Formats: sequence, structure tokens, C-alpha cells
Amino acid sequence: MEELIEILEDLQPDVDYETVDDLVDGRYLDSLTILSLISEIEDAFDVEIPTVEIIPANFNSAAKIWELIVRLQEED
Amino acid sequence: MKKALKGIVFVLILCMLVEGISVILLPLDKVKKYGLYKTSAYEIVAEEEDSVDVIFLGDSLVYSSISPMEIWDGYGYTCYDCAQPAQIMPYAYDYLEVAIESQHPKMVFIEANIMFRDPDKLPFYKKIAYRIENYVPIVKYHSNWKKYFTKNKNSWLNVNKGYIYITGVKPSKKDPLNYMDINDENEAYILPENRECFDDMIKLCEENDIKLVLLAVPSQKSWSRSKYNMVKEYAAEKNVDFIDFNIDHDLGIDWSTETKDRGNHLNYWGARKVSDYLGSYMEETGILTDHREDEKYKSWNTAYGIYKNNLKKR
Amino acid sequence: MSFFNPVFAFVFVPLVVVIYNLFPKKLRAFILLAISLLFFAFISKWLILYLVLSIVSIYMSGIGMQKLEEKKKEVLKTVEKDEKKAVKESYKKKRKFVLVLCIIFNVAFLFMFKYFNFFAVNLNLLMNYFKVGHQITIVKHIAPIGISFYTLEALSYVLDIYYGKIEADKNIFRVALYLAFFPQLLEGPIARYQDTANSLYEGNKVTFESFTWGYQRILYGFAKKLIIADRLNIIVKSVFEDWGRYNGFTIFVGIMSYTIMLYMEFSGTIDIVIGIGEMFGVKVPENFRQPFFAKNVSDFWTRWHISLGLWFKDYIFYPVSLSKSMKSLTGKAKKRLGNHYGPLVSGSVALLCVWLLNGLWHGAGWHYIFFGLYHFFMILMGNIFEPSVAKACEKLKIDRKKKGYRIFQSIKTTLLVFFGELFFRAPSMAVAFAMIARMFDAVSFSMSELMTFGMDSRDYVVLMLGMVGMFIMSVVREKGIDVRENISRKNIWIRWAIYYGLILLLLIFGAYGQGYVPVDPIYADF
Repeated sequence: MEELIEILEDLQPDVDYETVDDLVDGRYLDSLTILSLISEIEDAFDVEIPTVEIIPANFNSAAKIWELIVRLQEED
Repeated sequence: MKKALKGIVFVLILCMLVEGISVILLPLDKVKKYGLYKTSAYEIVAEEEDSVDVIFLGDSLVYSSISPMEIWDGYGYTCYDCAQPAQIMPYAYDYLEVAIESQHPKMVFIEANIMFRDPDKLPFYKKIAYRIENYVPIVKYHSNWKKYFTKNKNSWLNVNKGYIYITGVKPSKKDPLNYMDINDENEAYILPENRECFDDMIKLCEENDIKLVLLAVPSQKSWSRSKYNMVKEYAAEKNVDFIDFNIDHDLGIDWSTETKDRGNHLNYWGARKVSDYLGSYMEETGILTDHREDEKYKSWNTAYGIYKNNLKKR
Repeated sequence: MSFFNPVFAFVFVPLVVVIYNLFPKKLRAFILLAISLLFFAFISKWLILYLVLSIVSIYMSGIGMQKLEEKKKEVLKTVEKDEKKAVKESYKKKRKFVLVLCIIFNVAFLFMFKYFNFFAVNLNLLMNYFKVGHQITIVKHIAPIGISFYTLEALSYVLDIYYGKIEADKNIFRVALYLAFFPQLLEGPIARYQDTANSLYEGNKVTFESFTWGYQRILYGFAKKLIIADRLNIIVKSVFEDWGRYNGFTIFVGIMSYTIMLYMEFSGTIDIVIGIGEMFGVKVPENFRQPFFAKNVSDFWTRWHISLGLWFKDYIFYPVSLSKSMKSLTGKAKKRLGNHYGPLVSGSVALLCVWLLNGLWHGAGWHYIFFGLYHFFMILMGNIFEPSVAKACEKLKIDRKKKGYRIFQSIKTTLLVFFGELFFRAPSMAVAFAMIARMFDAVSFSMSELMTFGMDSRDYVVLMLGMVGMFIMSVVREKGIDVRENISRKNIWIRWAIYYGLILLLLIFGAYGQGYVPVDPIYADF
């Protein structure tokens, strides 16, 4: 989780990732940042994020993203 | 149940508001005198009493081809287009009846195209729509709110006298020389109902000492040789004058610039020619008086001024 | 056909509601489907055959992919672990085959109806140029109403099944109703299966509350159209028809008017669609979110025609930018160019695909393609210069979160969009460029030409007041306040006064009847 927040802060430093729960809907993360984020996550956690999973519900908070990562790791 | 009641109350209050506003969108004294329906359906009642000398009855061909203001400017006769889109004979009769309540016209022109329209073929929903339109004048007259925001003192003055001003051009592709012959798909025929109605109209005019004239304005689509022959014969039978602008009198309409919709209706430039000819015809009859210098008809001069000004703006 | 036809909004819709309510809950979905198909047939006549055929193809493909998925699971249970991967792969291929077949089938129709002539004309030109003695015949035909919207919606359904986002619906009537629901046929919005399918099929009774609630939204849409769009139309028509006659200021007003008119007309239509949906208890997705407050062109497209933007994002942008080759490109580029510019390479490639298709989707014409490329270019520029702008602001001590800066951003974006939409409206690219040239050539600040269009000063006052009203509404909505919700909590006198006020404003100040020409539904042609 900490590693994830580090990645996020690196990409978009102006957000408090502990509290914000509308990262996508609130437009903190635009589509380019999400592209970056996905490639970072895939490298760091050795998972593959399929296109279908890229929906606001999965990316709206750091916790949600973490859930997604864990779920994908388990599925593998 | 309670909700249904609520809905009904809402609609009732809305109707009242709409009617209330309708009244202020029409000249109030006329509404008091003639009622909302008549004031809305027959614009001529808003004219000064006993001021209009000539009335034109008919459909869209009338309000696109005859501009009373042009006749006023050239000859000083007071004319009014009592036309309705797709008018039928019985409606024309009603209009004339209402008009002579407040006016004493000396001449009435009927655009003969309406004699070929089957009054029973007017679909019922159009009849209903016509009624509703006049019971709810707000729809037709909503732009009259502007009359409350103008420097002009004569804000209720009707400037165009029933004419609808159009400058747009859609050139015709029909041959200007023989269009009367192409349109004859089926033989034109005046229905017995319309003949009866016309007889009533002749009677009404005789009683009121009005000269009745039949008229066919230039139209490449609405008019044809068989219609012409039919009306010519009928007019002779009834001993009524018939002026035709498609065969008898060539006005030299330029069908590439003087029609608004490919030859069916004239635009402003075409209408000027028709109006001018009609003015000279009226002059020849010698029944009418030139009112241009008459103090009583000052408002017509004012109206002409505004009319002229509106033309310049476009 | 326009939803602003009073016969549609105030006769047809209530009639549908009454008929719908008369039937028992179980049958209502079928009634709604029947009405929707009749509505389509009423406008597009025999092309209803196309709709039925396409719906069947979509439904069958969904079921087909679902069956393959189920079969795969069964087979997986029986095989050894090391074979699993091969089994998975082979079924994936089969599913893909079904998907591609379905897409080709439906896109072929779209191509035939909308694009055939465009390609034929250009190929003919090319063949002429190379002196090939053959010419393709240009066929004149009409397209089914709203085919561009319908096709995207239909594809979203099969794509979602393919990706495993949703399960295929076994009930063809539910699929058909989702795809053919009559208010969405004309101009969208492009809803997803999860958005509307179930609530549509439920057959919820139209209650007094939902009926009046829906009509409030419909009236709001009418206000945008009748008071504002139809007045702007007078300006737009004159300026675009005869631009050579006007000075630079007038041309700018014309260009500006077009985008605002487009917004009022399109979003007003969507208000009607959403309002009708609300009556039946269906949440049709919103299509606009105060677009003129966008901070950049990219942001604008998340606020304007939202359902189209989302479609391209989900089914073009991410699939392209996250494809294997693009991913490795992103990885490499990031190491060299850093976090901002790294993903920009693959992002831009995907973006280019999105905007080419977006332009083409709007219509077969080079100016539409240019319209797409223009937005691609603007967004690309925004992305490239973002870090430099951020640095510059820091140096100049400009706080980018301050109101003043936001307003500046909105104005800048809106201006950029005005010129994008110019290419959209102009009959050809040459005309659009000529208009821009004339704007700077015939510089003048004389407003007198504005009075020559047939609108008098009183019309301009109503127009301005209408736009100020809409602006205030937008500010309130941008703050996240639901105006309708707030009004509904007021007591009955205030509530009714507001409704009466809105209705009477519409009746009196609407630009309808003699002297006004209504805007044709712009998006219904797409």
C-alpha cells in the first residue's frame, strides 16, 4: 500500500491519498496519468491490468486501487 | 385522488394565466368589444371602424402577393388582406361577415384558388388546431410583448395590414411560358358546396353594396389552365369581374428572382407588381377615394412610414 | 423529426404514458418496445428491417460469446493444469471471432448508409487523377434515424460481454428495448447496458410524481431551445450563409453563436430524453456537465457529449494505449522521458485514433475529419506544454487553483472550442478558413450589422437575459447543487409559481411562429 501511495504521489503530488475518494470522478487523475499509473503498477506489483478493469470505481481512491491489485494478484 | 385533483387545479390555474396573458397581448378595447376569439381570429377587427375600403379574401397566395401598403402608397386606397393559410370558402365567408361588422368595404376580392379547395377535406385536427389557436391567442400573438417595449406611440398599429413580408428567393425551374399547361393533371372542378357558398357571398355583397371581384394571382404551382377556364366561365355566369395574372395580364414576373418557393408564392418584389396592378384596376373602377391627404387616415401614413423603414432594415 | 415538436412532447409522450400505464406491469416492457419500434418505423419506414436485423445480430453474438465462456469453464475442469493455458487461448480466439464478425456486420451497415458515398467520391477523384477508367456509382439513399448513436450503443453491449464486464442477456426483448428505447433513438445519449436495460424492462408504473418530475426537465430543455437556440439560429444562419458581407466582429459573433446554439439545442434535446426516461423510472446518463467551465480542451470533452467521450475512452483509447506493443513503448519511453512525457507517446497514438474516429463519426466529410484532428492537436499541445505552463506559473507566482486563473482557463478553452466547432458547421474547410481570415481582415467593432438579421433590440435583450439565466444555472450546478431537487422541497406556492413562470416565459418569449426559423435538430443527422 505504501509503495502504491509513493507511486501516486510521484505522479500527482497535489492530492491527499488517505482521504480523497473521487480520484477519477473528481478529475484528479486524467487519462494520461492513468496510463502512467498502470504501467508503474504493472512493473511494481507484477500484475496485468486488463482494460475492463479501468473504470472509475476501481481507481477512485488509493484503497480501491490497492484492492484491485490484490485481487489481480490472487487471480493469477 | 388527491394528486389527480392537484393536477387538475394546476392545469386550471395555468389556463387562467394563459388566457389572462392572451388578453394583454391583444388590443384591450377590441377584446372588450369583440371578445377574445374574434379579436384573435380576425385581425381586421383591430382596425379603426369604417376605415377599410377593400378586402382581399383567400389563402397564402393573398398574404404573399398583395401588400396593402404598396397600394396605399401608390393610390391612397385602404386595403386589408383577410387571408388565412389554406383558407376554405366557408372560412372566407365567416371572415367577410366579421369584417363588415365594423367596416363598410366597397370592394371585396376573392383569390379564386380557394374555390378549388374541398372544405370537407380539411382534416378535423386542423379545424381543432384552428379553434385552439384562436382561443389561446398567446401562441399566435406572443411576440406582441414587444409592443410594451417600444418608443412608438402607435404600438398597436397594424403595419402590414395582413400582408406577410418575405424577401427570400428560391428561383423556379419551371418554364415561365407554359407552366399553366403542365399543371393540368386532372380537370379542375368547383364543388357544389363552394358554388353555394359563393352564391351566399354574392348575396352578402349585394346587400352591403360591395363590388365583388374574382382574382388569380401569379402562381406556377397553384394555378393551371383548367382552373383558369373554369373560373373564367363561372365568373361570366355570375357576372363577376375576374382578373387573372397568369394568362390575361402578364405582369412580367421574373420567376428566377420574384418567388420565395420555386414558383408557388411570390416574394416582396413579385408582390409589388401585383399590388401595383390591383391599385390601377381599383382606380379605373372609380368607386374608391384617395385618402392620403385625409387627416382621418393619418395612421395609414404612419404605418407606411414604419413599413418603409422595416424594408430598409433588411 | 425533432423532440421539440410540441406534438411529440405534449401529445405523443403523454399518450405513450397512458397506454403504458393501462397495461399490467409484466406487459409494459413489451408495450414500450412496440411503441419504440413503431416510432422508428414512423420516421425511417422500411429501414426498421435494418434495426431488427441488427438487434438480432447483437443478441445472438452476446449469447454466442456467453456460451463459449461457459463451455470453456467446463472444459477447464476436465483438463490437466498444463493444458489450461492452451484451452483458454483457443476459446479466447473463438470469442474474438464472434465479436469481430458482429462488429463487421454492424459497422458495414453504418458504412453503407453513411460513408459509402464519401469514400466513393474521393476514390473517384483519385482514380481520375491516375486516369483509371473506372468510376464508382454514387448511390442516393437515406440512413436509418440515429444510426451512428445506435451503432455505438450496440457495440458497447457486445464489447462489454467480450471483456467480461457484463453477462449476455438471455432475453432478446430486454436487449431490444435497451437498444431501441424511443427517446434515445434520435440523438442518444449512448447508454451502457448496465445504465438502462434493467430499469427499462421492469415496467415501473409512471406515477404522478415521476410524470411531473420528468416534465420539469423537459420544460427546461424547451427553454434552452426556444428562448436561446432559436434566436441564435437567426444570427448563425445569416452569418454562415453570407459571411463575405459582414465585418470581423459580426463573423466572430456568428462563430460564437453557433457553438452556444449547438449546446442549447443538443443539451436541450438530451434534457427531453432524460425527462422521458425519468417518467418511466429510467436513469438515462447525463450528457453534459457545464462544458464552458472546462479548464482545457481535454476537460471540455469530459463535459460535452459525455457519453460519446466515454465510449471512445473505454473502447478505443484504453484498448489502444494499453495494447501490448503500446505498453512496452510506454515502459521504454518512461525511462527516457519521465513520468509526464513517457505515457504521452502511446497516449497520443491512442488519442489520434480516438479523434480521427470521432471526426468521422460525426459525418463523412473532410471538415469533420479536420474537426477531429483540430481537437487532437489542441489536446496534444495542452499535454506537451502542461509542465512548462506549471513551471511558468510557479515562477510568476500564479496560483493555478485561484478563481481568476480558472476563469482565464475557461475562457481560453471556450475560445478554442468555438473555432473547432466552426469547422464543424462550415460547409467546407475552405469556407471555415476564409471566415477566419475575414474575421481578422475586416476588423471592425461596429455592432450595427447585428440588427440586420431580423432580430430587433428587444430580441437581443431576451437572448442576453436567457443566456445570463443559463449561466447562473450552470454556476449553481457546477457547485453541485441540484436545482430541481431544491425547488421540490419548497412549499407549493413557490413551486407552482416557478413552474408557471417557466411555462409562461416559454410561451411568451420563445422564438417560435412568424418571423423565427427553428433550428433543425443538428445531431439527429449523425
